[in-house]
Amino acid sequence: MRLPQFNYHSPDTLEEALALLDEHRDQAGVLAGGTDLLVRMKHRLAVPKVLVSLKHLDSLAYINEGSGMLCIGAKTPIIDVIRSDRVRQQTPALVQACERIGAVSIQHYRGTIGGNILQDNRCIHYNQSQFHRSGRQPCHKDGGKICYARDESDRCNSTCQSDGATALMALDAHLILNSTRGERRVALDTFYTTDGIHPFDMQPDELLTRIELPVVQGAVSAYERLSYRSAIDYPIVCAGVRLVPEPDDAECIKSSRIVVGAMGRSPLFMAKVSQSLVGVAFDDTAAFGKAGKDAMNAAAAFAAHNAGATLEYRQSMVEKMVEKSLSQAAAQVSARKAR
Amino acid sequence: MTEYTLIGTRMPRVDSRAKVMGKARYTADLKLPGMLVGKILRSPHAHARILSIDTSEALALPGVKAVVTGADTEGVKWGVFAYTRDQQFIQTEKVRYIGDEVAGVAAVDEKTALAALDLIHVEYEELPAVFDLMSAMTTDAEPIHAEFPNNINIHVNIDTGSVDENFANAYYIREDTFTAPEESYFHGEPYAVAARFDHDDCLEIWMPNGGPHMKSKPLSNAFKIPLHKIKVRKITIGGAFGGRSEICPADFICALLAKKTGHPVKIVFTREENTIGTRQGHAMITTHKTGVDKEGRVLARETTCYMDGGAYSSTGPIATSVPFLSMEQAYRMGSVRYNGYRIYTNKPIRGMIRVHGRGFACGLDTQLDMIAEHLGIDPVEMRLRNSRQPGEFTSTGSQVWSCAMDETIKKAAAAAGWSEKFGKLPPFHGIGIGTNSVQTGFPMGIRGGSQSFIKFNEDGEATVMSGVVDNGQGNENMLVQIAAEELGLLPEDIHLVSADTETTSSDPGSYSQVSTFVGGQAVKNAAANCRKKLFDVAAKILKTDPETLTAKNRMIYVTDDPQKSVSIKKTVRVALLNFTSVNAEGGYWPKVDMKREWVSNPYGQMCEAFSFGTTIIEVKVDPDTGRVTVLNAVACQDVGKALNPLVLEGQFEGSVAMGGQGGMLTEYHDWREGRCLNPTMLEYKVPLACDMPEIIDIIVESVDPRGPYGAKEAGMSIAMSAAQAYAGAVSNAIGVYMDSFPLTPDKIVAAIREKRQAGK
Amino acid sequence: METIEITLTVNGKERTLAVSPNDTLLEVVRDYLDLTGSKEGCGEGVCGSCTVLMDGHPVRACLTLALEADGSAVTTVEGLAEGETLSPLQQSFIDHGAVQCGFCTPGMLMSATALLDENPSPDRQKVRQALSGNICRCTGYAKIVDAVEHAARPEPGCPDCHARDTGGNHD
Repeated sequence: MRLPQFNYHSPDTLEEALALLDEHRDQAGVLAGGTDLLVRMKHRLAVPKVLVSLKHLDSLAYINEGSGMLCIGAKTPIIDVIRSDRVRQQTPALVQACERIGAVSIQHYRGTIGGNILQDNRCIHYNQSQFHRSGRQPCHKDGGKICYARDESDRCNSTCQSDGATALMALDAHLILNSTRGERRVALDTFYTTDGIHPFDMQPDELLTRIELPVVQGAVSAYERLSYRSAIDYPIVCAGVRLVPEPDDAECIKSSRIVVGAMGRSPLFMAKVSQSLVGVAFDDTAAFGKAGKDAMNAAAAFAAHNAGATLEYRQSMVEKMVEKSLSQAAAQVSARKAR
Repeated sequence: MTEYTLIGTRMPRVDSRAKVMGKARYTADLKLPGMLVGKILRSPHAHARILSIDTSEALALPGVKAVVTGADTEGVKWGVFAYTRDQQFIQTEKVRYIGDEVAGVAAVDEKTALAALDLIHVEYEELPAVFDLMSAMTTDAEPIHAEFPNNINIHVNIDTGSVDENFANAYYIREDTFTAPEESYFHGEPYAVAARFDHDDCLEIWMPNGGPHMKSKPLSNAFKIPLHKIKVRKITIGGAFGGRSEICPADFICALLAKKTGHPVKIVFTREENTIGTRQGHAMITTHKTGVDKEGRVLARETTCYMDGGAYSSTGPIATSVPFLSMEQAYRMGSVRYNGYRIYTNKPIRGMIRVHGRGFACGLDTQLDMIAEHLGIDPVEMRLRNSRQPGEFTSTGSQVWSCAMDETIKKAAAAAGWSEKFGKLPPFHGIGIGTNSVQTGFPMGIRGGSQSFIKFNEDGEATVMSGVVDNGQGNENMLVQIAAEELGLLPEDIHLVSADTETTSSDPGSYSQVSTFVGGQAVKNAAANCRKKLFDVAAKILKTDPETLTAKNRMIYVTDDPQKSVSIKKTVRVALLNFTSVNAEGGYWPKVDMKREWVSNPYGQMCEAFSFGTTIIEVKVDPDTGRVTVLNAVACQDVGKALNPLVLEGQFEGSVAMGGQGGMLTEYHDWREGRCLNPTMLEYKVPLACDMPEIIDIIVESVDPRGPYGAKEAGMSIAMSAAQAYAGAVSNAIGVYMDSFPLTPDKIVAAIREKRQAGK
Repeated sequence: METIEITLTVNGKERTLAVSPNDTLLEVVRDYLDLTGSKEGCGEGVCGSCTVLMDGHPVRACLTLALEADGSAVTTVEGLAEGETLSPLQQSFIDHGAVQCGFCTPGMLMSATALLDENPSPDRQKVRQALSGNICRCTGYAKIVDAVEHAARPEPGCPDCHARDTGGNHD
C-alpha cells in the first residue's frame, strides 16, 4: 500500500515546528511515531499536503517530576513510559494502559504517548480501504451524510479507542498545547468536542507538547480493557480509575475518578458515578459493583456498533471493566498496608 | 521393523536456510526487466448488471500500458468440474459479489496503475442482492446464476438405507442445529502473480499455488494455447491451507496484460484483496439428528447442511461432501442419510479450508457429548464406543486399511489426565475432547497420480524431478528425505527440481493431504528403480548379485560383507562409461474406485488411506468477560508413519492454532450488505504467540500398508479435532452446550447469563 | 514531487539514496536496495513481516518513512548472518523446525534478535510477549518460541538443540 504524496519537513526546533503548523494549518499533519497517521494516509482517510515530523524534537521526549506534577513530553515513546519507575509508582494506570497498546514491535518503540492520545477516532465502518468505502454512500466522517454504526444517526458515532487517553483522563491529566500564539493548558476531560469527525478541541496550528499529571498523595489507579487478543488489538471497551484515600483514614475513599473508554466519541468521565464512591470503604465490593452498573447505564447512551464484537457485549462489559479496575486499584491500597 | 537412515529422524528442513537468510524469493519479490505493475478493478456492488465499460480515459493516462476487460478474453468460463463452470475470469454481463473482477490495468508504477483504475468508467445497474443463504433459496429476485434456480449450486445426497428403521429402534434420539460463519486463510503471503510471454510465445508465470499443474490446464484453456506453452514456474510460497488450489482470475488477468503489453507484469494483492478476492471458508448451518442404542452406539444419523458458497462454484461438490466424509470416517454409524446443499449468495467465493466444516464437526461432537451425558457415559468412552476400527468400511464404502483411532483417544486422554479432570474441575474450568478423520487425498474427477524422474550426475549426486509443490508444510524436505533414503545418499546430494510445469510431470497438487502419499510415493518408486539400475552396475563391479547389495552413506556394499563396497559416485561413472543408464522414473496412482463421483455416485473407495486424530483441550473461562484461557493442549494423531517428527509436530501445533485457538475462539467474518468488515490483519483475529497454550504432541504410527513407509497425512485431523476439543472444553467449563461457533466472549457471557437466569 | 537524499547504514554498509517523501523504509529496502527478505504482509503495521531493526530497536518498516530513518543504522534479515555463518538464532530456527512457509520468518527473527540483544536468556513468557506483534499462520508459535528460548542457552533435554552436532544441518 503506497502512501499519498506530501511535502516533508523535519524542523530542528519547536519554534520552527510551530511556524510550519501556523503556515500550513489544516493542510498539515504532525508525524510522531506514524502508527496511526500513516495507516490512515494509506487508506486515504487523511491526505495531508505537508507532514511536519517531530523527529528532531528530542526535547519533547522526557519524563520528570516537579512542583506536584508528573510531566511527560508528548514525544516520549510508549516504551519509555512503560519502563519509567516514576510513572509506575505514581500512576500505575498509565503504565497498564501503555502496556496494552498494540504490540512491542508495533507501537512501543515508534509510538509516542502524545500520538496515542491524539489517535483519531475509529469506527469499523470508517477505518476501511478506499475500495471498501467505494460503491456505498460516504459516512459522516468520510465527508458524507450517513452513519453505518448507528442507522439513521445524523452525526458521526466513531469512538476513541485510545488506551492512554482513558487512563490519563482518570489520572486527571492536563495537556499543554503550543502554537505561535502561545501556550495553553487544558484539562483532558474538557479537551473533546463530542463531534466524532473532529474529536479534539484543538486548532490546526497547535501542537501537543506535554502531558501533566498531578501527583496525589496516596492515590491508587488502575486500567482494564477488553479485546479478543492479548496484543495488537484496540480495546473494544476499557476503563481507567483513580482512587484517593482520606489522608487520616486510609480505609475510605476521599475522591475517585472513573473513566470509560472505547464507548463514546471521547473517553467518558463518569462524574456522578465517581462522586458516589466518596466516603466508601476500599473493601466495599458491593459499592464497586454498583458503580460498574451505574457506569454501564451511563455509557449506554453513547454506544454504537463501531468496533468489532457485538454492541450488547461491549455495553455489558463496561460494568465489568469498571468493577475490575476499581477492585484492582483498591487492592493496591491493601497491598501497600501489607507492606 | 525396517531400519531407515533418514526416515523417522528429526531432520531440519532443507529449505529453511534460504528462508532464515531472507534469500527465499516469493512472487512479490520477483523483478523482471521491464516489468509493469498490474492492478485489478473490482466490483463495488454485490450484484449488478454491467451496462458499459469505458476504458478510454484510463488508456490515455501517461504511463498506462494496457487495460483489459472481459471483451479481451475468449469468454471461457472456469469451473473445477464440467458441471460447475460458472466463473469468467473477467466479468462481462454481471458482477456477483463485492470484489468480482471487472478490468485489469498495467502501468509503469503502482501510483499510475491505481490512478488508471479510477479512470475506468463502469456503468452498473444494481440488482437485488442476497446475503443470507436461507433466504437465497426462497427469494423471488433474479438468481445469481441463471442456470441454477433457487440459487442452489450443489446438492449432495447420500443415503445408506435403513435410516428410518434404525431411528425407530433407537433408545435415544436427539436433533440439534449448529451454525458457524465464514472464516479465512490469512496466509502469511498475500496473493501475487507475475507473468511474461517469452520469445516462443510461451507464458511463464509465477504465483503461490497448490499445484502448478492445476494452474496450467485452466490457463491453457483460457488462452486456447497448448499446455506446453504454459510454464508455471517454481517459487517460494507463503502458505496455502487449501486456499490456493484453484486458478485465480488474477493469474489470467496478469498473463493477459503481459500478452497485451509485451512486458512482464506483476500483480500483488493487498491484504484485503487476499481476503475477499481469493477464497474463504463456507458459512454453514448443520442439523444433526442422531439415534443411539442404550450403550451410546450410533444406530442412525440424519444430517442436513446448508453451506453459503458465495458467488461461484469453486470446489463446490467437494466442499459440500468433505465435512460429512470426515465424520463418517471417524465414527461408525449403523446407517446415515446426508443432504448437503451449497447455496449461491452475493458474497466472496468459498472454497476448501484447513478446518473445512467447523460447525459441522463441532456440532457432531457436541451432540455426542450431549448424548453421552444423557446416558451417563464419559465422553472418552462415548468416542471409543463409536470409533472407526481398522479393516472396516465407511458408510459410503471406503475400506479403512490402517486405523489407530482408539490409540489416539487413549493416549491423548492419558496425557491430558482426562480421568482425573473430567467432571472434577472447579467451576468455569473445563476439558473437552475432539476426534476426527481426514482423507489422504482424493483423485475423484479432477486429477490423478504423480510421476517423478531421477537422473544421476557425474559426481554421484542426483537430480530429482517432481511436480509436488511446497506451500510451507515441508514437502520439499519430504521428497529429499525419501530420495536420499532410497538412493543411499545424503540429503545434500539431492538436487530437487520441483513444481515447474515445464520440467516436471503432472502431479495432483499439494492439497487434500495427498503430497506424501502420492507424490512422495512416486519419488520413492523412481528412486527404487534408480537404485535397481545402480545395483546392476555395482553388482558387476563387486562381482556379486544385485539382490545382495545395500546403498547407504554414498556407498553400495554387500549387505552381509560391508567391506565389499563401491562408492555411488564410482558406480555412476562406470555406468556412464558403459553407456548404461542409471536414470529412472517412477510414479504412483492412488488405487480408488474411479466410478465414485461427488454428486452422481458418492459411493465406493474414495481414497487409499485415512488419518485419525484426537485433541484434548483444557480451558478456564472468565465468567465476567467470557474470555477463554487455554491451559493445556494435547494433540495426538495416527499419521501412519512419521517420516520426520520435527515437521509433523509443526503441523500439529499449527493445526491447534488455526483450527482450535483461532477457529473456535476468535476467527469469523463480519458483514454489512456483502461488504466484509474485517478483511485485514487488524480486524480478523488470527491467534498470537502470547495467547497460545503449550502443546503436547503425540505421534501414533499405525503403518499404513499402502502409504510410503506406512505414512498417511499429518496434521489435518488435528486441525479438525482441535476445533471440536476447544468447543467441548468451553461447553464443559460453562456447563452449557454451545451451538453457535466460534465461541466468542459475547456468546459465552450470554450463555452463562441465560443459564443463571434459568436456574433462578 | 522532489526527492530527498538520505543516508542509511544498512546491514553495516553506508548507503546514500534519493527517496520520495512518501517512500516507506520497507519500499526503500525492498525496491531500492533489493533486500527483499523483509516482507509486506499487511501494509498497516499489524502482521510484523516487515520488522527491521532501526538503531537496534524493532520497527515496522511499512509504517516508517524512509526520511524518518535518515541517519539511522538499519538491520534487515539479510544482515543477521556473517557471510555464510548464520547467527545462533537463525541456526536455532532451522534446528527447531521454527520455519514453515517462511514468510513471517524474517520479521520473527528481527523481533527475536532485538529481544535477545536486550535479554539473552528470556523465559518462554517473555519470548511470547516479545513476539506478540509478529503473526505466524503456520507454526502455532511453539517451535518459534523453542528456537528463541534455546538460541542463547541450549536445553539439555531438547531433542533439537543438538541437531547441529549430529549432521542434521547441511551447511
